[in-house]
Amino acid sequence: MLTMNLEGLEMIAVLVVVVVFVKVLEQFGLLEAGYDDSVEDELELSAVRHRPEGLEQLEAQTRFSRKELQILYRGFKNECPSGVVNEETFKDIYAQFFPQGDASTYAHFLFNAFDTDHNGSVSFEDFVMGLSILLRGTVQEKLIWAFNLYDINKDGYITKEEMLDIMKAIYDMMGKCTYPVLKEETPRQHVEVFFQKMDKNKDGVVTIDEFIDCCQNDENIMRSMHLFENVL
Amino acid sequence: MAAGVAAWLPFARAAAIGWMPVASTPMPIPPQDKRKAQDGLIILNVSGTKFQTWRTTLERYPDTLLGSTERDFFFHEETSEYFFDRDPDIFRHILNFYRTGKLHYPRQECISAYDEELAFFGIIPEIIGDCCYEEYKDRRRENAERLQDDEEMDMNNDVTPVNLTFREYLWRAFENPHTSTLALVFYYVTGFFIAISVMANVVETVPCGTLPNRSKEMSCGDRYALAFFCLDTACVMIFTVEYLLRLIAAPSRCKFMKSVMSVIDVVAIMPYYIGLVMTDNDQVSGAFVTLRVFRVFRIFKFSRHSAGLRILGYTLKSCASELGFLLFSLTMAIIIFATVMFYAEKGSTATKFTSIPAAFWYTIVTMTTLGYGDMVPKTIVGKVFGSICSLSGVLVIALPVPVIVSNFSRIYHQSQRAEKRRAQRKTRLARIRAAKIRGTNAYMRYKQNGLLIDALEEEAGQALVGKAASPPFESQHHHLLHCLEKTTNHEFVDEQTFQANCMEISVVNKSGSRTSSLSSSPHGLSSCCSRRHRKKSSFSLPSTNNQELSTIQIRERPVSNSRSSLNAKLDETMPLKCDEAYISPSMVRLSAPVATSSDDASTATTTYSQSNIVRVSAL
Repeated sequence: MLTMNLEGLEMIAVLVVVVVFVKVLEQFGLLEAGYDDSVEDELELSAVRHRPEGLEQLEAQTRFSRKELQILYRGFKNECPSGVVNEETFKDIYAQFFPQGDASTYAHFLFNAFDTDHNGSVSFEDFVMGLSILLRGTVQEKLIWAFNLYDINKDGYITKEEMLDIMKAIYDMMGKCTYPVLKEETPRQHVEVFFQKMDKNKDGVVTIDEFIDCCQNDENIMRSMHLFENVL
Repeated sequence: MAAGVAAWLPFARAAAIGWMPVASTPMPIPPQDKRKAQDGLIILNVSGTKFQTWRTTLERYPDTLLGSTERDFFFHEETSEYFFDRDPDIFRHILNFYRTGKLHYPRQECISAYDEELAFFGIIPEIIGDCCYEEYKDRRRENAERLQDDEEMDMNNDVTPVNLTFREYLWRAFENPHTSTLALVFYYVTGFFIAISVMANVVETVPCGTLPNRSKEMSCGDRYALAFFCLDTACVMIFTVEYLLRLIAAPSRCKFMKSVMSVIDVVAIMPYYIGLVMTDNDQVSGAFVTLRVFRVFRIFKFSRHSAGLRILGYTLKSCASELGFLLFSLTMAIIIFATVMFYAEKGSTATKFTSIPAAFWYTIVTMTTLGYGDMVPKTIVGKVFGSICSLSGVLVIALPVPVIVSNFSRIYHQSQRAEKRRAQRKTRLARIRAAKIRGTNAYMRYKQNGLLIDALEEEAGQALVGKAASPPFESQHHHLLHCLEKTTNHEFVDEQTFQANCMEISVVNKSGSRTSSLSSSPHGLSSCCSRRHRKKSSFSLPSTNNQELSTIQIRERPVSNSRSSLNAKLDETMPLKCDEAYISPSMVRLSAPVATSSDDASTATTTYSQSNIVRVSAL
């Protein structure tokens, strides 16, 4: 007969017994616990797979020869067998070139610059279009590409904060062990120098025309634009 | 930088354009790619299986054979491909390494074959990927252990060199009782006395009936005190002698004294000496009785006699971490359940659970499923938790036990393997020996044939007898051996001849009429005999001193420059040796120096002994 003065330990004992009972019933399948996860698991099995457009179309759209496209695709597919690069893989690949520092932030900006349709992944077409501009494009196109890289929110203006982010990302790739030692305000100072040079009307933002004008007048920048032309 | 992303380097360089507008200083000039790498296909023909890959794939790793110019050595012009005479199955993995940047280890391949291939292609095994690295390391360790076992056995089974010091001899006798009969006798005697001592310890506590003037039953130890004391003394004396001998013979006394076995030895005999020293004082005799407990450690001395006991001890030592974990988890569970049981049973009357430590006993007995029943919970709560305690006890104990068992099994199998290898050693060595004898006989035949033909050619000017068709490899090998003979002025003989030589010279040794000159020759011969003993790697029985596996045997023979008449006689026999077929009976060779030595006892001079070039007598 159940008396109502159950003490503390007895309560716990009763609880334990009830829990065990429930578990046993579950084992017999009479009580089902929530199992919504199994449905989601199946969706992941069908991994994303992407096939690029034909070789002729790509040849027409980019300035690479057939052979060059073949070499590029082979390297691309070797590293990303599924045909698309997501941001994580992109960061990993880029980080391998800069082991001393942290290249993830800059890789993030690069990823956004390559991912022109902003769907979160870089397909081979995106990749090859970007490379076509960088390696085979005119100086104007390269400068436009660089402007798009710096303009993080893609609103047509580069603000100081955006530039600061980019600058910090670039300095992060250097890592800690530099000579002279990297100080906190170095990126900021660099941004100041940049804005002094680029911002003609001193309105605190750099527009694309200001940017292109200024770069075309700068010899160093012009010369360095031609640097990587025979990379492939 | 992993070479897998080498394909993305152009991308990284292109993306560097993003830094250009920001840079304040001019950029450095890029390196000129003078040699525009032709991106052609390379065909690699590995024992007939053709592999093809891009040239740039191979050149990703320029410090390996395939990635450097070293592969040009394997270029085959006629088919314009690279040909490697290696295993194509393993090559597949090596080529995959170039392609993917990851080296895998195939589980079905033999570890030494795989290592050889890696060494050939200049790939260091440390870059094996994580997925296969553990397996690789395990197999490698097993292989190394196997080789080490073999080597140790080789060292252990060396025939006793004659000039061991007494101390080393003693140590060897203790460590390997099978080397000499005396050691074996000692081994069995000590084993017997250990058994006797342990049994005496056990029996002396058995009640043995009463003496007429006592009412209480006495133990056998008290009744026959003198007999047991004598037995104990005898055993302790044997153990002491053994310990002292081991101490003397040990190569490193400090290390020996720190070793486990020596500590056990000391602990086994100390109680007796302490008992001797102490008087029959009432206060200390209590402590003395406690000391007697240590006598039971004598049983551990058996571990020298039993390999299984050693394995068990070694297993426990190697499973120390698992045992520690078991102990820790048990302690945790005991404390938890003891606390719960104490508070659960607190309310019930006349309960045995008087405190938490008292509840420990209940918990231990329950968790190890002993269940003595001297403490049982009475309340319902207590019973509920008691049942949970016993269920969980089974689980907690069952977890680390398989780990310990698998460790034991691994070590046990290792020792089994060692035993099997030792047993197969005899057949293996016999096989090696047979092969060597075959080789020597083949060589002898070759020489006979060759020289016979030479002689006949000299006579008749043309080869009358066709050589027995021997494979070109073998004939070249034999020619090489012959060149070696000519170089060293020694010749190869086979075993029987050599043994006969040894016997003869030992006979000559025994005969008193030896001269100083000839003393050098048998000395040289016996030294060569003993040198053979030292060098050989067999386990030859002590009885047959002349057993060997090598076939180069040396026999001294005076050279022909001396003035003694000894040489005149030898000059006559020399042409017989060199030019004709070696069909002269061996005894002729042997008897010549023996006969001449006995004649020429007086005229031999030191110059003769100086110009003693050792020449080999051949069949």
